[in-house]
Amino acid sequence: MLVVEGLTCRFGTKAAVDNASFSVQPGSFVGVIGRSGAGKSTLLRMVNRLADPTEGRILFEGVDVTALRGKALRQWRARSAMIFQQFNLVGRLDVLTNVLMGRLAEIPSWRSLTQLWPEQDRALAMSALEQFDMAQFAAQRADQLSGGQQQRVAIARALVQEPDIILADEPIASLDPRNTKIVMDALLRINKHFGITVLCNLHSLDLARSYCDRLIGMAAGRVVFDGQPSMLTDHIARELYDLEANDVIGGAPMPAPDAATAPALGTAAAA
Amino acid sequence: MATGVSILPAQQLAALNDAYRKAVARKRLKTMMAGAVFFGALVVAGIGAEVNLRTLFTYFGNFVSYFDRILTLDSGQRVWTDVGEWFWGWQKWLKLLAETILISYVGTLIGAVFAFALNFFTAQNTSPGPWLRFIVRRLLEFARTVPGIVFALVFVIAFGLGPMAGVLAIAVHSTGALGKLFSEIVENADMKPVEGIRSTGASWLSCMRFAVLPQVSAGYASYALLRFEINVREASVMGFVGAGGIGQELVVAIRKFYYSDVSAILVTIIVTVFVIDITTGWLRAKLFGKEARA
Amino acid sequence: MSQLPKPDPQALRAKYPDVFERPASARLATPLMLLAAFAVLAFGLFDLGFSPSRLVSGLRELGWITLMMIPPDPGSSLPTYLSALGETLSIALLGTTLAACMALPVSLLAARNIIPSAIFRFPVRRFLDSIRGVDTLIWALVWINVVGLGPFAGVLAIAVSDFGAFGKLFSEAIEAADKKQVEGIRASGGSTLHEIRFGLLPQVLPVIAGQVLYYIESNTRSATIIGIVGAGGIGLQLAEQIRVLEWQKVSFLILMILIAVAVIDWISTKLRFAIIGQRAVA
Repeated sequence: MLVVEGLTCRFGTKAAVDNASFSVQPGSFVGVIGRSGAGKSTLLRMVNRLADPTEGRILFEGVDVTALRGKALRQWRARSAMIFQQFNLVGRLDVLTNVLMGRLAEIPSWRSLTQLWPEQDRALAMSALEQFDMAQFAAQRADQLSGGQQQRVAIARALVQEPDIILADEPIASLDPRNTKIVMDALLRINKHFGITVLCNLHSLDLARSYCDRLIGMAAGRVVFDGQPSMLTDHIARELYDLEANDVIGGAPMPAPDAATAPALGTAAAA
Repeated sequence: MATGVSILPAQQLAALNDAYRKAVARKRLKTMMAGAVFFGALVVAGIGAEVNLRTLFTYFGNFVSYFDRILTLDSGQRVWTDVGEWFWGWQKWLKLLAETILISYVGTLIGAVFAFALNFFTAQNTSPGPWLRFIVRRLLEFARTVPGIVFALVFVIAFGLGPMAGVLAIAVHSTGALGKLFSEIVENADMKPVEGIRSTGASWLSCMRFAVLPQVSAGYASYALLRFEINVREASVMGFVGAGGIGQELVVAIRKFYYSDVSAILVTIIVTVFVIDITTGWLRAKLFGKEARA
Repeated sequence: MSQLPKPDPQALRAKYPDVFERPASARLATPLMLLAAFAVLAFGLFDLGFSPSRLVSGLRELGWITLMMIPPDPGSSLPTYLSALGETLSIALLGTTLAACMALPVSLLAARNIIPSAIFRFPVRRFLDSIRGVDTLIWALVWINVVGLGPFAGVLAIAVSDFGAFGKLFSEAIEAADKKQVEGIRASGGSTLHEIRFGLLPQVLPVIAGQVLYYIESNTRSATIIGIVGAGGIGLQLAEQIRVLEWQKVSFLILMILIAVAVIDWISTKLRFAIIGQRAVA
């Protein structure tokens, strides 16, 4: 179980995450929702320890993750696999090597630095790629792939880490609708099939509602909602997203044009 | 630890691995060939330049001890224990240093003026005629490729020993170097304003003055300042061939083994280059903002 | 012809005083700066012993020299010159390679994204800067004192002075590398060494290779002159022929240098295109 206690992260005087507390049951698919700048990314990065919390603790199965150092820290990073909005692959390395990066914490440094990957690790990486129909691209450079393909490679990299929890930071924000579905389905399959916990930042409320078992809503760094997707009423969503509400809540009617702007447009058209 | 990947059956895996290996092997062969060619060139060059690793190892100690020696006064003390003794000739050296800076300043400015006058002829978008462009370009290329010190060698014979030869050598070399950079700036300039000015009936000269110059002047000044910094370094060695500046003192000190003088002059040169480096960097940042610094 | 309504200068002046009465500092800034620049120039010309008569007689002399250079003719020393040119190219290649090998590890220490602490980084940077502040010719003189006359001193001189330049350039390339790729490695549990090997180097090496190739070209130019102080290569011949006023040989040697530099330039541009692709070179 992942427990977050009073987690705070300040950059200067501004708190990106402000006293966040919640816990996540193993095997659940949790969506973190909120406006851009609400602190979702910082929260996930702190769990993986890419960012260091100013206050508070993160516990995983009773172990204080925030206190880890050195090798123990690297092993925790491997156990909490991260998927990024911009994929964060190494563009000039080939796809298979990129996936093998997920094994770095397990393999002795002299082997990985000389690229003498153990045979079973290669097999694991290749199988992970095949699982996402990417095995035929194994020898290609990562920066020659499309965005959707790159994100599938990134998920394969996350999977070969054999993680207990996957942290996905806006995994679909740079993708088109077709690849969005592929990636979200893959995350769902990983979650349901292998029982890996998924903690996923999402901007789109529709996607969050249809994929997640539980939603955590953040605003200005605070956790302001925590519960089943069904409990998230339109009213709460509007408060969460404020002005952006209409962009993220599908099917909501467009508001009538504002009276103040209409004449200006009218005169422009007339002129 | 959870597993998210089920390993494929051996046969399927072997096929995939084979395909990967084949694709990678081709790339690797290319890299290996390039590496082998490069290494071969190195070996040939090593023979050509009479490189002897054993010499290097035996003499490397000398290199280190050389610095030990130039940092020791005649009395056997470290130089910094008696700064007055170390910089005994500071009045003479400062004067020569001022001459060095003046040489590079005058040389850079003359070079910049010539480059400015010539660059509109060489830029593709502003040149009045292709044959003129070709000739000026070749001339600038010549001035740029022949090192400044070679010009200095020739000029010392034509104009006599002294800083004048150094100034002219730096001016000619800077004209070549700046002319190319200037014309590149002009080629990157937006031509739409030129069209606008020409449409009002302005002459070629007015077009250059009011449409092109405002776009390029910041870049020109930035490159000229950068060149000045390089030229200070260059002017510090002009004295090696008798073309003025502090180089004359340095070469005498090195050749005659006046060890502490060598370090004193080197320190003055390095400090001067630092100061000028920082000042021009600051000036460029202040005058033209961050984007002009590249 | 259309006519604009007649303006009232008095009213305009009262309405927009800023336009008509710009402060003297704003109006005079640029002319004053130019004036100061040219005043220093005039002082410099005077102080450095420029005089019209010297200039004229010097230019006449230069004209004679140019006439005597035509046509370029190596006399009977062509083989000597060719081998000297080969020596020059060898010096450039070896010196640059040696410098690059030494600079790569040091540049890591000077890069902000690897060594975040300024206290550690600063001395490394200053050290590289002071090496850069000393001209190649001075290094050549120093090395001649250490290893004796000959091309080997030239190789070492180029290696040391480029070491300073490369250290700075490489560390800038490392700082410009994409942080996200490195973060990807860190997030999977890689150590600092892994981050450098798999996250940084694949991005940085092609850039570095391009810079090294570019420097081989510019070092061919430097290597032609270090012979002037006795560190091997074609410069030795050039200085010698100028000293004895064999102008036809001088022009031939300069021609050889020009051609060699052009050829190396062409090759290195081709290779750079091959390594980083057309887009990245520009």
